[in-house]
Amino acid sequence: MEILITTFSLLTLVTAIVLIGTRGRPGRLFSQAAESLRHMWDNRGPIFWLATCVVLVLGFLFFFYASPATRVGAAQPIPFSHQLHAGVKAIDCRFCHPYVARSIEPGLPPVEKCLYCHNYIIANHPEIRKEHKYFDTNTPTPWIKVFYVPEHVMFNHQRHIRKEIACESCHGDVRRMDRLKGKRFKMGFCLECHRKKQVNLDCWLACHN
Amino acid sequence: MGSVAFAAGCNAHPERHLYTLVRAPEDMVTGEPTWYATTCRECPAGCGVIAKNREGRVIKLEGNPLHPVNRGKLCARGQAALQGVYHPDRLLVPRLKVEGRWKEIPFDQAADLIHRRAALAGSRGEGRVALVSEVVGESLLARFSDTLRPWRALPPVIFEPLAYEGLKSAWAQTVGQPVLPGYRLEQADFILGFGADFLETWLSPVEYGRRFKAMHALADGRKGCFVHVGPYQSLTAANADLWRMCRPGGEAVVALGLIQGLLNRGAGQALPVPFRAALNDVSARYRPAEVARQADVSEEDFQGLLHRLQAAKRPLVLPTAAAGQGNASATADLATVLLNVLLDPTLARLDFSKRHRVEIAHSRSEVQAFWQQLAKGPLEVLLLNHVNPLYSLPADGAMAEAMARKDLFKVAFTRSLDETAAAADLIVPVAHPLESWDVYESKSGLPATLQPVLGQIDAAPGIGDFFGALGEVPSGQPAGDYRAYLQRRLAARYGLGSEYDWLRTIQDGGRFESGESSVAPPLRLDGAPVKALADLLAQSRSATQRKAVLQVSASLRFYDGRNADHPWLAELPDAITQVAWQTVAMVHPDTMAANGWHDGQPMSVATARGQVAVPAYGYPGLHPELLVIPMGQGHTCMGRYARQQGINPIVLLEAAVDARTGQPDYTAEITGLASAGNPVALASVSGSRSQHHRRIALETTLGTPVAAKQEGLTINDFPLTLPLPEGYAPQRDIYPPHDHVQYRWGMAVDLDRCIGCEACVAGCYAENNVGVVGEKQIVKGREMAWIRIERYQHPEDPARLIFLPMLCQHCDNAPCESVCPVYAPHHSKEGLNNQVYNRCIGTRFCAQNCPYKVRRFNWFDWQWPAPLNMQLNPDVTVRSKGVMEKCSFCVQRIKAAHNRAKNEQRTIRDGEVTPACVQTCPTDALIFGNLMDPESVVRKKIDDPRAYQVLGYLNTKPAVIYLKKVVQQA
Repeated sequence: MEILITTFSLLTLVTAIVLIGTRGRPGRLFSQAAESLRHMWDNRGPIFWLATCVVLVLGFLFFFYASPATRVGAAQPIPFSHQLHAGVKAIDCRFCHPYVARSIEPGLPPVEKCLYCHNYIIANHPEIRKEHKYFDTNTPTPWIKVFYVPEHVMFNHQRHIRKEIACESCHGDVRRMDRLKGKRFKMGFCLECHRKKQVNLDCWLACHN
Repeated sequence: MGSVAFAAGCNAHPERHLYTLVRAPEDMVTGEPTWYATTCRECPAGCGVIAKNREGRVIKLEGNPLHPVNRGKLCARGQAALQGVYHPDRLLVPRLKVEGRWKEIPFDQAADLIHRRAALAGSRGEGRVALVSEVVGESLLARFSDTLRPWRALPPVIFEPLAYEGLKSAWAQTVGQPVLPGYRLEQADFILGFGADFLETWLSPVEYGRRFKAMHALADGRKGCFVHVGPYQSLTAANADLWRMCRPGGEAVVALGLIQGLLNRGAGQALPVPFRAALNDVSARYRPAEVARQADVSEEDFQGLLHRLQAAKRPLVLPTAAAGQGNASATADLATVLLNVLLDPTLARLDFSKRHRVEIAHSRSEVQAFWQQLAKGPLEVLLLNHVNPLYSLPADGAMAEAMARKDLFKVAFTRSLDETAAAADLIVPVAHPLESWDVYESKSGLPATLQPVLGQIDAAPGIGDFFGALGEVPSGQPAGDYRAYLQRRLAARYGLGSEYDWLRTIQDGGRFESGESSVAPPLRLDGAPVKALADLLAQSRSATQRKAVLQVSASLRFYDGRNADHPWLAELPDAITQVAWQTVAMVHPDTMAANGWHDGQPMSVATARGQVAVPAYGYPGLHPELLVIPMGQGHTCMGRYARQQGINPIVLLEAAVDARTGQPDYTAEITGLASAGNPVALASVSGSRSQHHRRIALETTLGTPVAAKQEGLTINDFPLTLPLPEGYAPQRDIYPPHDHVQYRWGMAVDLDRCIGCEACVAGCYAENNVGVVGEKQIVKGREMAWIRIERYQHPEDPARLIFLPMLCQHCDNAPCESVCPVYAPHHSKEGLNNQVYNRCIGTRFCAQNCPYKVRRFNWFDWQWPAPLNMQLNPDVTVRSKGVMEKCSFCVQRIKAAHNRAKNEQRTIRDGEVTPACVQTCPTDALIFGNLMDPESVVRKKIDDPRAYQVLGYLNTKPAVIYLKKVVQQA
């Protein structure tokens, strides 16, 4: 994606500069190179602004759609790999998110839970040392939120788990992701499923209040 | 450039943090509440509460159903206790006054400083250290004494502005001990009150609200009768069947007249003859004609009262108001006690085994003697625990002198910078009762426990711990460990030996089973009480002496002023005047008319002690000679919500107290009353005092025969139309009926039980994140309350009031739903009228079309200055600017019930869903349930012949069904 954007934008920029330099006749770039370059130099002001605009648009498109963060999800304070824990080691989701079947919130593992294992497994790895430090200094780990529903949506995990909706159907294939690619859920995503399964479509009784 | 910054900084995925716990408490499930039982300490009544904790923050208080005082209910002040924990101006670190400026110091330094000063003072001699405290439990008092003993301090002074001196003294004369017995209102069939405002502040309002309605609500076509005699119709008096107006200070005369009348009619035959003779002598003067002359109660009315009292099978006479009137109250209190003795020498309707804790408070005269001792004596260190005498006592030379003494080291233990703390040399913030361990005997022999219901949000220690650390504790326990101290004391006092007993006590919120039976202590019938009455009468001045009287009343919302910094309480309108935030003086309409004043006219009220400017409010429920100003506001400091809000009428009062009993006088003669400037806009939420002949708040007379079913289309004969399929009538409905599946939620409001106490309103603010808008916005009519108590005057007798809780009616034919251009109000399948906030575009058509004026528009983003925002209920969306909102029937609770029912594969049980207003109503006036369930309580209420719908003739088919108030001839 970003290659396409970059190529297209740079081509546009070069074409524009060439057209300005050769006064609309690109062939002159070869026949009268010196004059074209002089024209370009005379028009250096507009060219500078044009180039700036193109670069900014390019930057916006890149950061908004194509930066590495948007593809693999946010970098977490500790590079925790869901692929390793949930996939390779096949630890049950509910070990770390224990309340998912009995509360609206799935729950996050407290720092001490990480250390249940990591007191023994790679206890001295620099990243695990970080976790130890959180524990020793009584500091909560500031994980970055990746799955996001707006404030006025009251999503109830318990109801969905009890209806045997798999975690993956909303959260994606977590077992194959190192860094979770986040998702900003939209109402259509919920409604599609609620309609298909013919379940609660009431505004307040289902999702909002 | 901005766009790149936007894209790079806040791209499509707003990165917010999710913080984990470090160690997980075993009883915390994120997303689920945990409940902790504790005790409310907002007033000395000591109701039990259970506190809802979500993710470590306490977000809601509800009454503890096990607690015998309040049985699961809570008043508005109790609901607002949360705002004391999360108050944005709460003091966090100790402050030392150095050359007139505050310097913050750490806690250990503060403790060290107090210890050094007190130990030094103690080493110099006796009585150089003193403690003034609010009413506290036995354990804390014992700990105070333990700490003070090595310093050879004076005994602790227990200071309460409302200390019931007159009543205590009356019982001391009659049974030999200065006690405050419980009054068993529920066992009486006739209650005669002489001012006791037991639905507002008197002794234990939630408890007495319940007990009162147990005798006064309609049951089997009968109800008890309550007559209130007094110069001022308080909220309690407005709930009486008859308010018999008397002259200010005339209550004692009426009571003595009744004693005389009863003796004449041969009452009290069981009493010794000399006692009756003495009583007859003392009351001989008070013939009906004399009563009429002195108390301004006509002979005919008086005879009626006498007859009614004598005819009653189980009469009970209540004393005067919490804020008394010196000698006049003391006399009336003693007379009411003697009336009770005369009517029932066994005193069966008084409970001497469960007495109110506030009885330990010292009398005002003792407190004044203490200040005098202070001003002259050798005292060096004065400790003040949650008392604010500089605000709540009239200016007294000795007190001002004592507090101004430079050589006196004054330490204030408090959470807010109130007037007394501001005058102290050292302020030590201590933990809120909701953050502390303690035991409080709400009633004698009834220990209620307090436990921390949230993690501490600051470093302030509990006062028990702090005092423990100040002194040496003998038993070798860690000095500061107040919890262990409590556990030992409870074990010794109540035999709670095992850890299990202790845990169960904590879990229940106290130890409520008590083996003590209530036996009235022996009466002193040797003539001592009668002699005391004669002495009081000898000192009294005639009620006719004063021509214009100011009375300062205790406030339903602010008690004595200690709760004035809680924004919910300021935002609640006064029950009678419907004015929020401001203090208004209630003036008789005749006075208003004579001066050409209208509501909001500022007056200057002057007494011998001073003068204040206060807006007038015309109120017919007053003796024409009386002017009433509620206490509680007008603080000069105490944080952003209380400072300079309203006025403090205490400055108008004399410091002098009744010599015999120590009863302070909350009345004063008005020496000047004049207009003071142009009218101000009152922050009133009242639409009108009159119902304008619309069928809003209705009443019926006891014994009215059941009317035939109506079938008309006019205002008078429109039938009760249920929001159910049977309520659909094709000939008058333009909309098709709704298909409700299994549930159709509805509410029944029994106006006969509603006392207008506004506990429901405060509960709703707490549960539903309702915004506090402040005085200016209320003046503009922008209050946000989802439920309000409307108060209307009777069309024939403007002094008679009726109260009506008004909330969203969840109509079947909702006028709001049909006018919204974006379908934001939406009718749910369970009959709720949903307001979809994220769909609303703020046209306000719905509010305009709602005949009940229950929809509220967010003109601004209302603020919850940190840490008040920590109180917000995470289950309810905080509405933003430009959005309409209204009562949801606490849909979050309905959803929680659905969730539970689905987990257990059943339907929701009747009574399982209680919205916050229903939950807290002290008199069970509100009942919620499923109208489609023919067995539900709410469905059965609808069959009551009193049932009607407010403005039902508009064919809105409300789901809130009101039951008419039942009035009777008193």
